[in-house]
Amino acid sequence: MSLSCIIVEDLQVAANYLKNCCEKSGQVEVRGHFSNVTDALSFLNSNTVDLIFLDVEMPGANGFELLDQIAFSPKVILTTAKQEYAYNAFQYNVSDYLMKPFTYQRFMEALQKIQPSRETISTNSASDHIYIKTDGKLIRLNNDSILYIESMGDYVKFVTIDNKKYITHNTIKNLEEKVSKQHFLKVHRSYIVNFHKIDDMRENLLFIKGNEIPVSKANRADVFKRLNIV
Amino acid sequence: MNNLNTSNAFIFNAEIDANYLNSLYGDDFIYLQEVYETVLDDYQSLTDNIEYSYSSGNLAALRSAVHKIKPVFGFVGLVSVQEQCQRFEQICGNAGSPDHLTSDFESLKNIISQSKQIIEEEKKRLEIFNSNCS
Repeated sequence: MSLSCIIVEDLQVAANYLKNCCEKSGQVEVRGHFSNVTDALSFLNSNTVDLIFLDVEMPGANGFELLDQIAFSPKVILTTAKQEYAYNAFQYNVSDYLMKPFTYQRFMEALQKIQPSRETISTNSASDHIYIKTDGKLIRLNNDSILYIESMGDYVKFVTIDNKKYITHNTIKNLEEKVSKQHFLKVHRSYIVNFHKIDDMRENLLFIKGNEIPVSKANRADVFKRLNIV
Repeated sequence: MNNLNTSNAFIFNAEIDANYLNSLYGDDFIYLQEVYETVLDDYQSLTDNIEYSYSSGNLAALRSAVHKIKPVFGFVGLVSVQEQCQRFEQICGNAGSPDHLTSDFESLKNIISQSKQIIEEEKKRLEIFNSNCS
């Protein structure tokens, strides 16, 4: 087993089918099935997983509300097919959609997408710069030149002080471990910001050179700890 | 609907897409029987939810309830019913009030009711089939 997961799905036949696919793959250990967000959140408050198979429409809170409240960034595969969720899915770093019912082959294709890229960035967390691979070449970015990093599904966008944007195949989760802790802080599951570039903060938003960056409830306390409030 | 309604020795009801089921479960008829059982266990609550949403005039809830039951029909091979649910969802999204949905809703309700009978019959036949195979 290489991945741990939970299934958040209120349709029993769909949850059973998904469990069956996970077992058959031999790659995913199902650590729990929850039919609502409250129960899933309760589990995730004291456990972490690599992956969540997530239905969106469930009784009570919807699936995205679960993602808002957890303190880590697992991979997410949605088990819904509504187009209207596409924007949210993008914001939440969703790796794939599975339209129920899906074949085992389609399930395996979704699994393959969630393997994090480990070759598109080269950095040392103590260094003053990183290299990113984009457009077929390695580009050096000084930490001081980066304003923030934004998730774009399986890609991330680096926005720099000269308003340039560099897109590379990677994930916020992977970058969070690699970038300099002295410069960068994850403030939302889809955003890492350069802490030294924050202009101001209002409620759940950070402002960096005119860019609005959302701050999630889960990361808000960390942000306040790092602010030099006098 | 496909003309082929057999998968190995089991002959499915003509309304069921055997090829589609085969793409999901292969020839695992034991598992398929479990699928039918699970679906029937949940069927009443899913249909009650639809009925309640309609009677309370809540179009968003009705659409959501139909969306919820929709994949169930795919899991049991009633692909055309799944498609009809999809169409109803769209109609529901465009309807100004529940009054505009009366005939479409009655039609869907009948289809869902008939589908339950098909699922029950298939489950019984699968039980017999599987017990004969074991």
